[in-house]
Amino acid sequence: MKNKEIYLDACKTSKLDPEVLKEMLPYFTEKFWYPGNFTSIGNEIADALQNSKETIASSLSAKPKEIIFTSGGTDANNIALKGLMAAWENTGKHFITSKIAHPSMLKIFAALEKQGYEGSYISADQDGYLDLDELKKSIRKDTTLIAFTHVNHTLGTIQKIKEISEILKRQDHKINFFIDSCEAYAKIPINVEELGVDSLSISAHKFNGPKGVGALYIKTGTKMVQTQQGINRFQALKPGAINVPAIVGFAKIVELIFKNFSNYRNYLGKIQKLLYDGIVKNIPDIRLNGPKIGKRSPAHLNITFYYAEGEAIMMMLDFENIHVATGSACAAKDLKANYILRHTGRTHEECNSSIRFTLDKFISTTDVERTVKVLTEVIQELRRRSPLGKNRM
Amino acid sequence: MAIKYSEKVIEHFKHPKNIGQIENPDAQATEGSPSCGDQLSIYLKVNPETNVINDIKFESYGCASNIATASIITELAKGKTIEEAKNISWKKAADDLGGLPPVKMHCSVLSVDALRSAIKNYEEKHLGKHFDNSLSKKNIEKELNKIIYGKVGVDIITLKMVKYIGIREANKVIIEIEIAKDDPFFNEINDEIQERLEKFPNIEKIVVASVLEVF
Repeated sequence: MKNKEIYLDACKTSKLDPEVLKEMLPYFTEKFWYPGNFTSIGNEIADALQNSKETIASSLSAKPKEIIFTSGGTDANNIALKGLMAAWENTGKHFITSKIAHPSMLKIFAALEKQGYEGSYISADQDGYLDLDELKKSIRKDTTLIAFTHVNHTLGTIQKIKEISEILKRQDHKINFFIDSCEAYAKIPINVEELGVDSLSISAHKFNGPKGVGALYIKTGTKMVQTQQGINRFQALKPGAINVPAIVGFAKIVELIFKNFSNYRNYLGKIQKLLYDGIVKNIPDIRLNGPKIGKRSPAHLNITFYYAEGEAIMMMLDFENIHVATGSACAAKDLKANYILRHTGRTHEECNSSIRFTLDKFISTTDVERTVKVLTEVIQELRRRSPLGKNRM
Repeated sequence: MAIKYSEKVIEHFKHPKNIGQIENPDAQATEGSPSCGDQLSIYLKVNPETNVINDIKFESYGCASNIATASIITELAKGKTIEEAKNISWKKAADDLGGLPPVKMHCSVLSVDALRSAIKNYEEKHLGKHFDNSLSKKNIEKELNKIIYGKVGVDIITLKMVKYIGIREANKVIIEIEIAKDDPFFNEINDEIQERLEKFPNIEKIVVASVLEVF
């Protein structure tokens, strides 16, 4: 019989909370309608959508009208980045992002560059913090957008968003500030007013919400061109069919998590520390990638296990029904080592031996204990097989 | 699409044969490097009368397919003469494993490479053979023959992707390959060419150009 599944890859995607599924089900079966005017069923759906919007808005300290629902983080990023660049192209066609931004942003920017826009890519230090001096030097008269990832998906580094906002405020022309908060949301507190951002994206499936739904915050008064066209049933920037069950599920998971957000965060932090301490205690020759425990997102842990290769570690854990991710080139479709670890100064070997653990509320302390036990055995076995590190102390 | 291993690869990865070192081996070789992903060391014990490989062991810093291909290759080589073992091809190893995903074929090449290098090491040490390791077109081609285009899992020579090999003054090598610069495997192939050719003594500079860019 297979061991109980221990899923430690929540930031790739996560298990749907059963309570959320329960909330969603009627919207697949009986309440399948669209919002509409003058009918009872239309009004009921309109109310459900409005309530969902209010729940999401409140979790970000935003106004409901500043939220639009999207089909996920990638969709939200596409709407915002393309819409902002197009809206401001008479002012300038230069954007600034970072070398360690999430691929969904980097791919959009690569496409924009092919259309004649120009980009600057800011470096990061060894813990994944952006070089703010380089940012200041990169700002030009024709810079119209600065877009960063709020919490790094590989390292869990939390960028100093307020400091960046302050830099932008001191400029003599308007520069839009966008952040991708898909890995930050429901992990760290977010207040859009305090952060000083113009637009921000989030996604539901990384903290036990449904897949295929996300949201985009757009500060009142922000100029953004509509990049998708179709029937406007609910919101102009995202026309077409409305995924009502997913939106309702999104709001439900947000309600559950934010009901007692500090407890929830403390729990993730406790699990993270337990896992890290267990690894440090039992496995020699490791390296924590990214900021110290307590200074990073409570859901992210990334560790290099020297002399053992990442894909092999990942697969051996998988045989024991423990699921993680790796930055190893061997596990990548294009055989490239993780670019974030590379850009934060890790060697190819360190990338190839790296494992990412990302957490959600379903991980128990017993799960962590078993993970540490199995991981210790796996690393021992792979090091026994390895020609590397044999002469170490 | 997700990449999947055959059951046989999984079996050899879970329970690899011939893991470890041989004390006082008759020959040994290490191929690959942790920076390119995998490193494999092979150790041989050979009967001096018959040239039969009596014992063979390996150590691998590598992924599942690396460990599995090394396991099967050492099984195939054990009990064979060194001449027979030289003829074990990476295609044979991959076939015996029930196939490998194209992107993983290079693991099979690495294993065969390490086996052949260990045999070469034996021939040099014990049979007094000398090998021509000079920087020549022929030897460069031999190295390029081991580089797999991950999209299809075949080497770049067989695929006729190598359009030009030139050795200029001051041992500058120019290789032109038919691949787009934005091909997802361009950097990987470029890195591997650099890594393989750097082994030649006296090499000064290696330039890899994409033919699609040149014309």
